[in-house]
Amino acid sequence: MRRLAWRLAWSVGVVWAVVSIAFAVNVLLPGDPAQMVAGPQARPADVARIREQLGLDRPPAVQYVRFWTRLVHVGPSVADPAHASCAIVLPLPVRRSALHLDFGKSFQMRQPVVDVIATRMPRTLLLAVAGVVLQLLLGVSTGVLAALRRGTWVDRLTVSVSLLGISAPTFLIALLLQVILARELRWLPLDGYGATVGDHVRCLVLPALTLGFYGAAYYTRLVRDEMRVLLDADWVRTARAKGLAPGRVATRHALRNALVPLVTAVGLDFGALMGGAIVTETVFRWPGLGELSVKAMLDRDGPVIMACVIVTSIAIVATNVVVDLVYGLLDPRVRDARGGGTR
Amino acid sequence: MRWIRATRRGPRRGDGAMRASLAPALLLAVAALGCHTSLSPPIPAEHGDDAPPRRGGTLRLATFKDIRGLDPAGPTEGVANQAIHAIFAGLVDFDDRGRVVPDLADRWEIAEGGRVYRFTLHEGVRMHDGEELTADDVKRSVERALHKTTPDPSASYFEGIAGYAAYAEGTAEHLDGVVVEGRYVVTFRLEEPDATFLSVLAGPTLRPVCRSAGDRYVDTWQPCGAGPFKLAPGGWRRGASLRLVRHDGYFRAGLPYLDAVEWTYNMQQLTQRFRFEAGELDFLHEISQADQTRFAGDPRWRPFGSTDADTTLYGESMNTTMPPFDNVEVRRAVAAAIDREHYRLLKPAYVTPLDQPIPPGIPGYASDDVRCRRGQRYDYAAALEHMRKAGFPYDPATGRGGWPYPIDYVVYDQGLLIYTAQLLQQELAKIGLRIELRLVSWQTFLTLQHRRGGAAMSPGNWAMDYPDPSSFFEPLFTTRAIGPESTDNTAFYSNPRFDDLVARARGELDETQREALYREAGAILCDEAPWAFTFSYHFVSERQPYVRGPLQHPVWYVDPTRTWIDRSDRLAEPPAGSESP
Repeated sequence: MRRLAWRLAWSVGVVWAVVSIAFAVNVLLPGDPAQMVAGPQARPADVARIREQLGLDRPPAVQYVRFWTRLVHVGPSVADPAHASCAIVLPLPVRRSALHLDFGKSFQMRQPVVDVIATRMPRTLLLAVAGVVLQLLLGVSTGVLAALRRGTWVDRLTVSVSLLGISAPTFLIALLLQVILARELRWLPLDGYGATVGDHVRCLVLPALTLGFYGAAYYTRLVRDEMRVLLDADWVRTARAKGLAPGRVATRHALRNALVPLVTAVGLDFGALMGGAIVTETVFRWPGLGELSVKAMLDRDGPVIMACVIVTSIAIVATNVVVDLVYGLLDPRVRDARGGGTR
Repeated sequence: MRWIRATRRGPRRGDGAMRASLAPALLLAVAALGCHTSLSPPIPAEHGDDAPPRRGGTLRLATFKDIRGLDPAGPTEGVANQAIHAIFAGLVDFDDRGRVVPDLADRWEIAEGGRVYRFTLHEGVRMHDGEELTADDVKRSVERALHKTTPDPSASYFEGIAGYAAYAEGTAEHLDGVVVEGRYVVTFRLEEPDATFLSVLAGPTLRPVCRSAGDRYVDTWQPCGAGPFKLAPGGWRRGASLRLVRHDGYFRAGLPYLDAVEWTYNMQQLTQRFRFEAGELDFLHEISQADQTRFAGDPRWRPFGSTDADTTLYGESMNTTMPPFDNVEVRRAVAAAIDREHYRLLKPAYVTPLDQPIPPGIPGYASDDVRCRRGQRYDYAAALEHMRKAGFPYDPATGRGGWPYPIDYVVYDQGLLIYTAQLLQQELAKIGLRIELRLVSWQTFLTLQHRRGGAAMSPGNWAMDYPDPSSFFEPLFTTRAIGPESTDNTAFYSNPRFDDLVARARGELDETQREALYREAGAILCDEAPWAFTFSYHFVSERQPYVRGPLQHPVWYVDPTRTWIDRSDRLAEPPAGSESP
């Protein structure tokens, strides 16, 4: 428990460092956010007025302090026009007060960024989960199959297809699926997000498949290679000699051990996907965080950039903490080492 | 973040050769599937060409861009302006030739030598909320748009209205120069005569807004005006789509014909083409060069293709305060060394070669102006002679001479400009100017180009703010446009004679004399060449045959007020909020 608390404190430090670096980079980069709001043809007088309205005429140090003091602060527990860009995250026992989260207002969209993130994050989460689930289903099953059928045509076919999947850039897979499944066969929508739950599900299929195929190719090779080594290991031979069923040997003894590197890869991938699958979201017009963060970066939309960095860094740090915990579940040696004992 | 992942995994696999061989195979597969040489046939109209307009139907449009807002006083851009024009009618508007015509104002009169513009409103105009438009609404809308708390990126265009400075600084409660002279009469008083005022007024900024907008700009206001279309309930899904429905109380009886107009945003070009062919989009405005060739080569589609007006100006901007371009002869050499036909060949359907500072789609363009032809047309011998006069003679036979140092050419990653930059590099090498391309991001480009001493040479481009020569001359070439920190006069060009001509033209109400002044000013630019003017860029479009009536517009790109749909299966409306697959 103490270790978990230390890990969480460390994670907060990592997020603070990442956000501070992102803030500094955002300030130091050439390009005037006020000019990006006003447009490339705006006159200097109009750009200056907008710069002042956005608070960008203040020194960077003042902007930095303002950013952190505004990010998490105590405010009223009921809606208040003075806190229009805030989200109430935790009511406090002190009378009529609550903990507020405030990323500010988007320079470009002129909306509270918490609202933008709250709208976009579930979509990215949905896509990330769907993508990772497909990657695992396809990747683990084909990897195990290839390892068990070592040297056969099944193995060779799996290796070839996975190589094809790894070789192809995401946009190419996306276009291929779009052309075949949406344009030619008309089974699925070409792009979009839709207006109803049914639409969302239909629109999700192609981007999820794109991520699924791309990631599954890597998982297939990872699981196959790990399984091949493990199936030759002494304890697996012993398990076979003891008369265990081949399926049980493969899943309990080989696959379980092969999952350790797989969990690492999945954890990193999931964290990265929570930052948004930029290409996939763009091609399929899936309105998630990836598309948002790219646009924000191009437009120098500081509040949105900072919010995306915070969300992404928290997602990556959190998945790493979860991965650490899962290690313990999968590998008793890790658990014991954390407990201070050795075997 | 898939690209990060790809980078991370790449070196671990060690199968680069096979990967390299497979990727082209996949590319070919996509090319074979996605880039059919044959297009689906056009979907015919239900009736003949002489059929009268029909009411009903939805016009479906798409773009790869997005919109930021629908408030005429807020930050907007070209795509949003299409919708803003449909939602908000103005006192005056641009017709299909870019001329200013009455809209909400039945008429106007100009008095006191161009210092007073008096508008008489059309009586009985109903806004989208059912209220009648009055002169008070006009004044309130103007003051709302020009208030110092409004994020209006065009406010300074109205600095000529009497009392603007005090109002913009917040020292005056009201804008003195806008005077209500009756329920339907409103007057604008200007500090100086201004012949461009009507053109600027026809833009989106000062269009009257409903009383629900209040006196001050707020981000959460729901757009409401007096235009032919109004925002459908929940009609704007940010980042996805916009749906406008007919304003049944529109003051022009019988218009618009359409039930609704829908825009889908952020849609890739290829997806747009797929949807257009399937009849899910009615008008295709963002066509790739490959697809344009395909449409143009298909006799079934040829009658339904069209070209936008040339209203953008492209050129090579030379910083007149930095060597070697502080020498006018070097600038003249550059202007004469560029073969504009080479630029055209890069994108033949989209590029119109240009030899003057006014694009062909703008009033004042002079196809017969010989004064520009001399300086801004390809003439290799003249270019070499200018280099000699500049003191840097160049011998093409030996390659000796010319400007001895490399010249930084700052450019950003935009398809056509990357190509024109390379062309320029080759053209100028022939006269002894060595260009080194410096590729930067768009934001860095803007910073460098707009700052004194930031870029010796860079691509210049400008889209009209309103169809008038002043929209190009004043921001791009006058001394007044050069600010202490930033400027659109990227050549930092300053010529008192030119400034005087442009200032006089702004105050000149006589069209003939005004045109003469602009011609003289244009001739100075052609001769002194702060830019080498190269081309104008226009979009090409395709429409399905069942889209009838006027749709394209030289200023708004599309104006669906008089468009109708002649397709029987499209008169039934889909449920609100639905998105076609």
